[in-house]
Amino acid sequence: MNRLIPAVDDLPAAGDMGLAEEVLRLSDEHPRYSALFTAGMNALVEFSGDFLTLSDPHQDSAIRKFESSNPAEFDAVRTLVYIVYYKDVRVHDRIGWESRPPQPEGNVMEPWDESILETTKKRAPFWRKA
Amino acid sequence: MTITARNEETVDVLIIGAGASGAAAAAWLSEAGFGVLCLEQGFWQDPSKYASASPDYEFEMLTNWAIDPNKRQRREDYPINVENSPVHPVMFNGVGGSTILWSAHTPRFHPSDFRVKTLDGVADDWPLTYEDLEEYYDLNDEVMGCSGIAGDPANPPRSPRQMPPLPIGSDGKRLTEAFDELGWHWWPSDSYINSQRYGEGRDACNYCGHNHMGCYQRAKSSTDLTYWPRAMRSGAKIQTGARVRRITVDENGRTTGADYVDAKGNEVHQSARSVILAANGIGTPRIMLNSTSQHHPNGLANSSGLVGKNLMFHPFAMITGVFPEKMNTWRGPLSNFAMSQEFYETDTDRGFVRGYTYQFQRSLGPAWVANGGFTDAIPWGENHHAELEKRLGSMMGMAVIGEDLPEEHNRVELDPEITDADGIPAPKLFYTLSKNSRDQLDHAIENAKKVFETAGATEVFVDPMMEQSGWHLMGTARMGDDPKTSVVDKWGQAHDVDNLFIVDGSVFVTSAAVNPTPTIQALALRTADYIVAEREDLKG
Repeated sequence: MNRLIPAVDDLPAAGDMGLAEEVLRLSDEHPRYSALFTAGMNALVEFSGDFLTLSDPHQDSAIRKFESSNPAEFDAVRTLVYIVYYKDVRVHDRIGWESRPPQPEGNVMEPWDESILETTKKRAPFWRKA
Repeated sequence: MTITARNEETVDVLIIGAGASGAAAAAWLSEAGFGVLCLEQGFWQDPSKYASASPDYEFEMLTNWAIDPNKRQRREDYPINVENSPVHPVMFNGVGGSTILWSAHTPRFHPSDFRVKTLDGVADDWPLTYEDLEEYYDLNDEVMGCSGIAGDPANPPRSPRQMPPLPIGSDGKRLTEAFDELGWHWWPSDSYINSQRYGEGRDACNYCGHNHMGCYQRAKSSTDLTYWPRAMRSGAKIQTGARVRRITVDENGRTTGADYVDAKGNEVHQSARSVILAANGIGTPRIMLNSTSQHHPNGLANSSGLVGKNLMFHPFAMITGVFPEKMNTWRGPLSNFAMSQEFYETDTDRGFVRGYTYQFQRSLGPAWVANGGFTDAIPWGENHHAELEKRLGSMMGMAVIGEDLPEEHNRVELDPEITDADGIPAPKLFYTLSKNSRDQLDHAIENAKKVFETAGATEVFVDPMMEQSGWHLMGTARMGDDPKTSVVDKWGQAHDVDNLFIVDGSVFVTSAAVNPTPTIQALALRTADYIVAEREDLKG
């Protein structure tokens, strides 16, 4: 996880933020992700042996091999890591994201303003009669 | 399979599928005094439990609320073999059907869309006209509730919309001003999303951006909230968790009802005086092809051999621009707040026939952006944070929806091996993109780049054909006057079976270049009106 999302500003890398448990929890929540995640972890071990003992460049190299040879499994792993990282309140604070689900609060928008149609309204009808 | 239970009551009309069209037909027929029962393989949804209110909403969007049934994998979903289709169908199985997850963009066909053979020498004309459907479009708008504004010069005049348009927003104005500068048409989309309170217990949109996971606010129109309450007040019933295996027929080949598997796995027969198929452009031919009999050896009502053929999808291209400033592009409905039909009608100088619509799109939150959204995923590693910072809140999209013309080799068949959880053969799709469609999309991509350049985007991403874009399932039991070249007549009544009707997108002759649901629902209301006026014999 540290290689996927490295440290930034005052935030440690994703793996050092204690997010692994949440990644594992979510991967177990849906059969498709569960299967892909497990297969992905197995594939990564195949490429790297003991991944955690490798140097950073060698870890990156192993991940790139994993990405190109097992795209579906890699996609599932990356997706889960990104989801867990970007739902963390520490990350929200750093990127200026309001830390809540979309509902029930919703968002505020500027109201509809018909004046923006001024140009199009000047145009003559151009649909084709049949 | 052995039938273990029979529902003794014979209903007047048995509707298969509780989505956009089945609900509309059910309401009209039950209000006219027909006894209506609907078999729906999915279940009712509770909007207060929609995942947009969950802390895990971005995970839910890719799993339990994914638009692709092959990814969602609920028990009520059926697998679809897409090995031979670059476009993957998306749908929802439940009361409300795909209107639960749709974007609720509701443009109408143009008059020319019904006359493509006469005007452009391609495909076939429809056996009806825009004028034949216009009153039904209006009726449907009233029930579903349309936000929009009349006066679009790209379309025939239409009645006042029920509500004003949804806001365009400062982000949307970046695109609309570019269209103005280029001298190209744009107009606020007709949308079945409430811009103010409308309908029974339905609030105004609060711009959460996630109505594609079901609308928590009940602002987006779905037929579980609109047609079904009306239908049920008039006595219509829904049997949920009921997956239809086959339509049954008598010794004369007329329908007698359906065999289905209930939620407990029991094989049940429901008898009926007539059957309406409303299971979408894949589900309907699947059931018909699985309903072979002595009278219908190639599938129900398939003497033409066209059941399952002429599958049309509307292949989509997506062009996304990244702007230098933050515009909070996660506010407001993700899709279709405005559209352009500058290139809708045929201009042979462009090198293709028919045309396309641009649909304007927004963006969503950080995990969606990081995982790609409408673009490639943000790269992992050192550049990750800078790239996220660049894209979040700064991306706008233009989806291209081109007219997909019918071709018999694009089709739905029954898979010889894959089945759903009840052992019913899964559909297997065969689809290739035609040169005309490819040329449309390529033309649209180049023009979209001009729009983004004019609007000041600093980077543009292009997906030349979105894989997961098969929202619009059409053409697989087409209508026409000639039983040799069509499956149903202009009223949606099967040529071969006079008490079988089809009301979903299967009956489309051509696809136009707009979202099909208002047209599907208008056709369903028209078929229901026909049954009320002409088929009193179907009442018990």
